[in-house]
Amino acid sequence: MKFPAIRLRRTAVAAVAGAAILAVTLTGCGAGQAASNDGGSATKGTINWWSWTPTNDVAAGEIAAFNKEYPNIKVIYKKVPIENYAASLKPALASNDGPDVYTVYNSGAYSAEVFAPYATDLTSNVKKMLGSDWKSKVYDGGVKAFTVDGRLVAAQYAKAGAGMMWINQGLFDKYNLKPPTTLDEWVNVCKTFRANGLGCFREGVASSGFATDTLHSIVDSFKPGVWADVVSGKSKWSNPTVAESLEMLRTLSKDGILDEGAVGLQQYPDVNNDFLVGKVPMIQMGTWYQQNASLPTLTAALEGAGVPADTPKITLMPMPFPDVAGKGNPATLFADVDAGNSVNAKSKKLNAATTFAVWLGHSKAGQQAVTNSLDSLATLNGITPQWDKIQLVNPELQRPALEKVTADLNTATESRAFGISAEVSQAIIDACQAMLTSDKSGADVAKDIQAAAETAKK
Amino acid sequence: MTMTASRKAGLTSERRSGRPGRLRRPAGLPWILPAMIVSVGLLYYCIVYTGYISTLDWDGASPLQRPVGADNFARMLGDTVFWRALGNTAAFFVVTLVVQVALGILLACLLHSRLYLKTFHKVLIFVPVVLATATTAPVFREMYAPDGTVNGVLHAVGLGDLAQPWLANGTSALIIVMSVQIWQSTGVVFVLYYAAIGQIDTEVLEAARLDGAANWRIIRSIVWPGVRGTTIAIAILTAIGSLKTFDIPFLVTGGGPSYATEFLGTMIYRVSITFSQAGYGAAISVVLLLLAVGTAIIIRVSSTRKENTDV
Repeated sequence: MKFPAIRLRRTAVAAVAGAAILAVTLTGCGAGQAASNDGGSATKGTINWWSWTPTNDVAAGEIAAFNKEYPNIKVIYKKVPIENYAASLKPALASNDGPDVYTVYNSGAYSAEVFAPYATDLTSNVKKMLGSDWKSKVYDGGVKAFTVDGRLVAAQYAKAGAGMMWINQGLFDKYNLKPPTTLDEWVNVCKTFRANGLGCFREGVASSGFATDTLHSIVDSFKPGVWADVVSGKSKWSNPTVAESLEMLRTLSKDGILDEGAVGLQQYPDVNNDFLVGKVPMIQMGTWYQQNASLPTLTAALEGAGVPADTPKITLMPMPFPDVAGKGNPATLFADVDAGNSVNAKSKKLNAATTFAVWLGHSKAGQQAVTNSLDSLATLNGITPQWDKIQLVNPELQRPALEKVTADLNTATESRAFGISAEVSQAIIDACQAMLTSDKSGADVAKDIQAAAETAKK
Repeated sequence: MTMTASRKAGLTSERRSGRPGRLRRPAGLPWILPAMIVSVGLLYYCIVYTGYISTLDWDGASPLQRPVGADNFARMLGDTVFWRALGNTAAFFVVTLVVQVALGILLACLLHSRLYLKTFHKVLIFVPVVLATATTAPVFREMYAPDGTVNGVLHAVGLGDLAQPWLANGTSALIIVMSVQIWQSTGVVFVLYYAAIGQIDTEVLEAARLDGAANWRIIRSIVWPGVRGTTIAIAILTAIGSLKTFDIPFLVTGGGPSYATEFLGTMIYRVSITFSQAGYGAAISVVLLLLAVGTAIIIRVSSTRKENTDV
């Protein structure tokens, strides 16, 4: 019967106890202190790898190759959708239970720079593997992108290029068409495809920056070098070449080249699926898309697209971006380091994680596994795909074309995304959307990009 | 005996409370105190911390935090996307509230009348509530794609001229986002109205029928005033829900095209995560909180005033 009567003192004790629980809880949640550990064994343990790339089957192949040399390190791969990658990674790394290895990009929301505070410096590990002249043995763009405040915060392992288009060779053959090289040819090719109930050039301008590649290609068609100048700050986005390139994007839409509804489409999965199942004959994707020339990868991709297993396998072929400006400038490719693996400084398996990250990006076997998947190109110099070991859908046609892409990419001088901040990237997407949905002039839209770039700098 | 006992108890209570005539303390306090401290403490800690972050220039990860005072709030005032998001939220609130209330009350009245397969219909109306947006969003994207189901049906029935890329047009994209919300939430509104209508005295309804009142007159003059409290609760919930809208526009339209379906929730995500501007994102979050609390208070106060006027 005493129970209902509460003494103030008891309440105070309960309150203090509660506050103590709260304080402990909050401290536990927010501190993010590194647990003291020696990093464990370098050749044994289970590590978690988070990334948005590669696909699960490609990652499984790379891990299998790693396990041939390090059978006692188990790598658990978690593929996080690219749209949610930065959002998922930030809280995970802030906790003490984040991934041991996480992949970073050269710029933007999930760049090496953004996540550098959580990464360990890999310089000495890379030096140990490749020697003191290691920088001369790897892709210099990767070294530049992944060195933050003098620390190598990620081990580059994949390079990607863009600027080319991909066509469905079967559809071109069916309607007796040749890949277009000029604007007029492109218009005529699209007329034929549309007359036969197909789309033509489909692109997702709804979110991620694939339209940036298209705009870059158009700018290069008008005047090579302007894009690089603008990105580096030597010139402004309000440059007349950028403005007329934006106008050209509108022309592609008005002349029936670009499919309707681009601003409502996403490149993945909408456009990707439509292309792989043969609904549209051409898209613009980067070198990573050549993986769909591989029969096992294309089969897996079609399964992922949810189409019947007996759907015919398309023969995809690279095509240079047409000379839309009519100035005779050759189509260009632009390349970047696409991915590097950072090692979480708080990892309890830091040494095993470092073994994996450095092996994938800096050993011959690791880089061969990466490049043989056709998802990415190697960042270690001298490693090219072993075509004899790769099962292509149409080897006679595809192999020489893909070999040429790899060779051409080595001569690329412009970056794809490096140097473009997330804000400017968004401004470019906004600009492309504005050109396709409003009456604003290219000059005004180009000024909007410049304004966003200046705001971002502040 | 009883009197004496109660007097004694009363005296004991007065002595314990220290103030004559004061009621006893609620008996459950010690039981809920730890949980209350943790939950309320965590909640208010988060709010206060968000308020603190809103005064910083910070990317959300770096150890470098630069205090900027109210700069993030000042920036918000000049941000056209913020005002657009706010406008979209207002339109979204008005449209979804009106349509949900109309549909909810109509369906509740129908299911209170003589109808076959009542349980089946109730389940049918409520099913969208339990479906996750992540599951249904791809279906809506496919439906409204340029060569999706909606355009396919339009072509099939000879209305091909009306076919268009629905998600590429700002107006139709916003209407689609609203329609998904209405489809998903009407089930809850229906359940609330169904329960509220069940509380209306059936004798009043029967008397109205005997006086010759038609269905519409009964709904307008008896049911509608009878469920007033429920409508106010739905208005408050819809207002707060509209301010917090995130998953549908994020998954169906991505906030586009050209910010036509941008809401405060999607903007906070884009600013904080994509742009790594945690300070600015926190400032928008603070404004969102103030708007949610303010709107709830305004709806509640205005409805109380109306009730007093009616009395």
